[in-house]
Amino acid sequence: MLPEWLLPALVIMALGLFAIGALRRILLWRAGRPEPVRLIAGLMAMPRRYLVDLHHVVARDKAMSNTHVATAGGFVLSMLLIIPVHVFGLDSRWLTLPLLVSTIIMFTGAVFVYRRRRNPPARLSKGPWMRLPKSLLTFSASFFLLTLLASDVLPENFGHWVLTGVLLIGVTLGLAELLFGMGWGGPMKHAFAGALHLAFHRRPERFGGGRSTGLKPVDLDGMLGVAEPSDFKWNQLLGFDACVQCGRCEAVCPAFAAGQPLNPKKLIQDMVVGLAGGTDAHYAGSPYPGRDVGQAQGSPHQPIVDGLVSAETLWSCTTCRACVEECPMMIEHVDAIVDMRRHLTLERGETPNKGAEVLDNLIATDNPGGYEPDSRMNWAADLALPLMADKQVADVLFWVSDGCFDMRSQRILRAFVKILKAANVDFAVLGNEECDSGDVARRLGDDATFQTLARHNVATLRKYRFSRIVTTDPHAFHVLKNEYGDFGGHYDVMHHSTFINELVTQGRIQLDRFKGGAVTYHDPCYLGRYNGEYESPRALLAALGIQVSEMERSGYRSRCCGGGGGAPITDIPGEHRIADMRVDDARKVEAETIAVACQQCTAMLEGVVEPRPEIRDLAELVAEGLIVDAAGPASTATARPSLAEEVH
Amino acid sequence: MSDTPRRNPRMEWILRNRLHPEHEMLAAARNGPTRGPTGLLRKNPHAVGFIGPHGIRRIDRSAGLSGGASGSSSGGRGRSTGAKVELPLHRVDNPDFYVAVVVDLVAGRLSSHDRDILGQARLLVQGAEEQGAVVAVALGEAREANFELAGADRLVSLTELNGRPLSGYCPEHRLAVLEAVESQLAPRFWLFPDSIHGGADLGSRLSARLGERPAVHAWKVDAQQTVCRGGTQRTDWHRPTARVLLLAEECALPVDETRHEAKPIELDTLPDVSALIEDLGPVDVDPSKIALGEAEFILSAGNGIRDWDQFHAVATALGATEGASRVAVDDGHMPRGRQVGATGTWVTARVYVAVGISGAIQHLQGIGQCDKVIAINLDDSCDMIKRADLSVIGDSQAILGELLRLAAARQDNPDTASDDAATDMTEEARHVA
Amino acid sequence: MWPDPDLKVASLVSNGQHPKSGRSRRASQDARAVELGLKMAGAASRVIHVGDGDREGGLDQYLGMGLPEITLLNADEQADAVPVLLEYLKGASFDIVLTGVHAEQGEASGMVPYLLAEQLGWPLVSHIADIRKVEGGRAEVLQALPRGQRRLLRVPLPFIATVDSAAADARQYAFGAARRGRLVDAITDAPVDQARQEWTCAPAKPRPKRLHVAKAKSAADRFKAATAKPQGQGGSVIREGTDQEKATAIMELLVSEGVVR
Repeated sequence: MLPEWLLPALVIMALGLFAIGALRRILLWRAGRPEPVRLIAGLMAMPRRYLVDLHHVVARDKAMSNTHVATAGGFVLSMLLIIPVHVFGLDSRWLTLPLLVSTIIMFTGAVFVYRRRRNPPARLSKGPWMRLPKSLLTFSASFFLLTLLASDVLPENFGHWVLTGVLLIGVTLGLAELLFGMGWGGPMKHAFAGALHLAFHRRPERFGGGRSTGLKPVDLDGMLGVAEPSDFKWNQLLGFDACVQCGRCEAVCPAFAAGQPLNPKKLIQDMVVGLAGGTDAHYAGSPYPGRDVGQAQGSPHQPIVDGLVSAETLWSCTTCRACVEECPMMIEHVDAIVDMRRHLTLERGETPNKGAEVLDNLIATDNPGGYEPDSRMNWAADLALPLMADKQVADVLFWVSDGCFDMRSQRILRAFVKILKAANVDFAVLGNEECDSGDVARRLGDDATFQTLARHNVATLRKYRFSRIVTTDPHAFHVLKNEYGDFGGHYDVMHHSTFINELVTQGRIQLDRFKGGAVTYHDPCYLGRYNGEYESPRALLAALGIQVSEMERSGYRSRCCGGGGGAPITDIPGEHRIADMRVDDARKVEAETIAVACQQCTAMLEGVVEPRPEIRDLAELVAEGLIVDAAGPASTATARPSLAEEVH
Repeated sequence: MSDTPRRNPRMEWILRNRLHPEHEMLAAARNGPTRGPTGLLRKNPHAVGFIGPHGIRRIDRSAGLSGGASGSSSGGRGRSTGAKVELPLHRVDNPDFYVAVVVDLVAGRLSSHDRDILGQARLLVQGAEEQGAVVAVALGEAREANFELAGADRLVSLTELNGRPLSGYCPEHRLAVLEAVESQLAPRFWLFPDSIHGGADLGSRLSARLGERPAVHAWKVDAQQTVCRGGTQRTDWHRPTARVLLLAEECALPVDETRHEAKPIELDTLPDVSALIEDLGPVDVDPSKIALGEAEFILSAGNGIRDWDQFHAVATALGATEGASRVAVDDGHMPRGRQVGATGTWVTARVYVAVGISGAIQHLQGIGQCDKVIAINLDDSCDMIKRADLSVIGDSQAILGELLRLAAARQDNPDTASDDAATDMTEEARHVA
Repeated sequence: MWPDPDLKVASLVSNGQHPKSGRSRRASQDARAVELGLKMAGAASRVIHVGDGDREGGLDQYLGMGLPEITLLNADEQADAVPVLLEYLKGASFDIVLTGVHAEQGEASGMVPYLLAEQLGWPLVSHIADIRKVEGGRAEVLQALPRGQRRLLRVPLPFIATVDSAAADARQYAFGAARRGRLVDAITDAPVDQARQEWTCAPAKPRPKRLHVAKAKSAADRFKAATAKPQGQGGSVIREGTDQEKATAIMELLVSEGVVR
């Protein structure tokens, strides 16, 4: 028989090595810039975040969710029981029996992991991850049998020392993977880093059903963006380390699908390479389309761009947030990408293609097209729109956005004005006082210009009294709602789809039935994923008598049109166009019309070669279906909110 | 056929003599009034006018000015435009002062800008008490430069200086000539076109040499006061009129009611200059490399193009700069820098040929400043056709193939005579319009 | 061959103005001059500005192109820049001085380089697009002609060149670089531009568009001129005919427009 001390020694050694590795890992993260977190509260909240929020995401794949619960739950329980049973030698049925059960649960889960790994989908990383199910099986089986042998459940002398020896080797292997590997960068690292990542997440608002999508402002007197891995906040680095390489992000990334050189999973892995130092030679997942694996190398204090990733990778992102939405570890890919873009734009002045020109225009004319700032209201020359400067007070402030310069978007704006007038809404526009919301500047990394625009707009808005802002542009909507708060602008902002839907439910406008073929609805990223508005547009379409034939990817999984994040401006070549793929989605459900709720989406989808479904904004569909009767406005006028009446 | 109106005495005689056997026939052919059997002069109201393209009778009272459409214009009446009007000659015998105009002579001709400046010089001369004369200073070869009609009383014309031709870039030589003019004539004003063709450069050099402060971008000038446009066209500077004036386009109307002597003046002394700047001649510029915004002639490809090699070949053969629609760029057929439109480059080409471009609204926005748009497209209802000045409906590949053949044929057999005539015709048409 | 650290290149820059909004910025041609200087001499190229040193007025944007510093010759708005520059340039020994063709603010006469060249006795090349090489004390300069054409000139050092809008685009300016860049003051005595004090400046009035006056000889002519169809209102459409006929029609228009020779 083997010496008694061997097994406890093994476990203690593994735990010790794990502790050393973990400390080392923590030091790696701490190379990042400081960011205050709530230490105790975060750790306290961690189990709930794991069990509720994380599993809410994981549970989108039911089978995988159960597998993970069994494996992870079994492992944690086993580990907690192994220590008293095998290290301290406590011999009690109340401990050994649960340990046996938990190892069985873990084994069962591991079998499912193993089965999935036999034919893994392309998005999963291979390499060490292929070893993991075997390690899990070895660990659980070995400890099950060892526990069985050590306990008095079986008769004496049942075990043979050879068998015990084999089991000990199994235990060693299992411990090596699960404890040593956890601390020293093996696949199990995700459990340790992931747990801490949940505890110290940079956006704690996301847990418990909340939403936090606005970008964090740059301190313009401090460091501008991220040049080296150590320029990230420490909890961002921690977040990268939490990645399980499940590839869900890769599966939903529009740029990856279009063959542009971006793969969110690889990007995060490259960041891990950067924080730990080394090369990506061991990466075993899909590469950036068109780029070979093995070229990237970096360390915490080496520049990221052109060492770890190419600038084109960063500029391919449409900031559609699909990866973030899908990530079971709640990693913030978009934040990281924008951080690195900030360095490229603010420090290096290397915004590609039309980026520099657009930023220049924003600085000089407050709009990305470089149009005369005084011609903002030209589109509405015949509409006699009330100006905020004249009225001072209005119920609704209609944020026109830069669509006023684009002849296609002007049709949407005009349609919306028609609706506003039909519903007798007390509204006004800022006219030439309005500036670009700063969305494009910010996504292109130019936070200096964004902040100038934001401060200017906040100061303008402060001059007037209104109860809410309504806009047809989801990008402006998002920025006004979620990103102006940092500059003192807190508003009740509504997207026009929500607002029109409210008008319909209040009976302030009457709608005819839509006369046309099948309609599908394309969720704009900045309305849906960024702000969670999936229902109002659909309710509005239903009010028009439209049965929406949903595309395969809709709602929170909606595929981007390719127009966000300045992607059409930086214009990184790929194999396909994102907009083409989106219109193909619509063709698959045989839609004749794609209803959209964003002028950028309209522009992108209309860029697809005909024949294709017609692209119509919700405002256009509603304006077309308006029933205008003479009595309508008069009756609603009395029911109008009283804000305007107070003044007159 | 000659346009000169000629009388036909025999025909007139037959028309007068209604007893002549051919009288009836001729009178009927003229649709003019005929003598009825009672001897009364009768008009045939049905014979007036002609049937227009929509089947509606049109009466053309413009005496044949419409240029051929009216079939009924009679041979006897002639074309009133054909008559050359001899303009009165303006004579200056002993001028008290001179106003010098240094013309650009782009390609040896007076540009419309040159004519405007000469018109301005005429105004400055007319405004003065004394008798002044406009001296045109023409440096370099002048072809078809009609100084008499453009308003030059005197002409200093030099094609070379000390054996060095005054063509190409030779500002130092030109400046030396101007200094000679200065010392000989001491003009009251020096007028230059403020143009990129050399006028602004030369004017600035002369000002610096003479120590005069020029009025630049001047657009409203009289003998006392000048209004100059400031930087980026945003300000107007009101200032006393300077001796050296760099004048903007359309600062004054060209002379068109008088004829002038354009009497040559020989310069007494020609200076000897050693130039520091050497002109190594024009550089061959690949039209496809010219920046889109600068290009004069763009051949633009859209989604309708199948054979890209052919498209490139046509662009090369025609000497056109290549452009593309957004789709063609997105599909990777053309680089992004070649994208025309509001989201690409705004172009100012004089001639824009859109092949297989249906005309998205952003694209049409981007070609808003183009002078002539030609569309080749299969779909005759697309927006590009509505914008185009000439649209050809058909398969772009076949038409491009034919164009390629035509271009090759022209290269083999350059028919320059008809070419020049055609250019002149359009230029004339522009003046009338 | 670029950058050549031995080459002494200076760019003269002024405060620009956006043509649409009128907002201060780097002047587009001056920025191209800086770009050309950076290309030729790298970080050794110098940038000189005469003014009051208001960084917001456009200097920040020049600094943001990656210049460590700008030499600032202090002068107020009424000052005449030429004597100040002349004195400075006489004291320095530059090979090439670059600047834009016209300023974007104020009178924008474009005379500064001409006056400097005249008084320094240097040759001046206008409207350049690029400098190809500098060899044996002579530079090969590419001059921009209208419609994208180019002409090659050879000119001995030192010389002044005005940079045309056809030159390579100025690089993007970066906020961080602008923040780091410094203004190095040089003490100068700037005389007031007396002549300009007497001028008045007003916002530009739109210039009257010249009407095409038809010198008509008869009433019918005048009628025709007045009612003639404006150009570009719907063109002719050729639907029928062979491809050859269609191509010929296009060719005829191209030839008559003079773009095909």
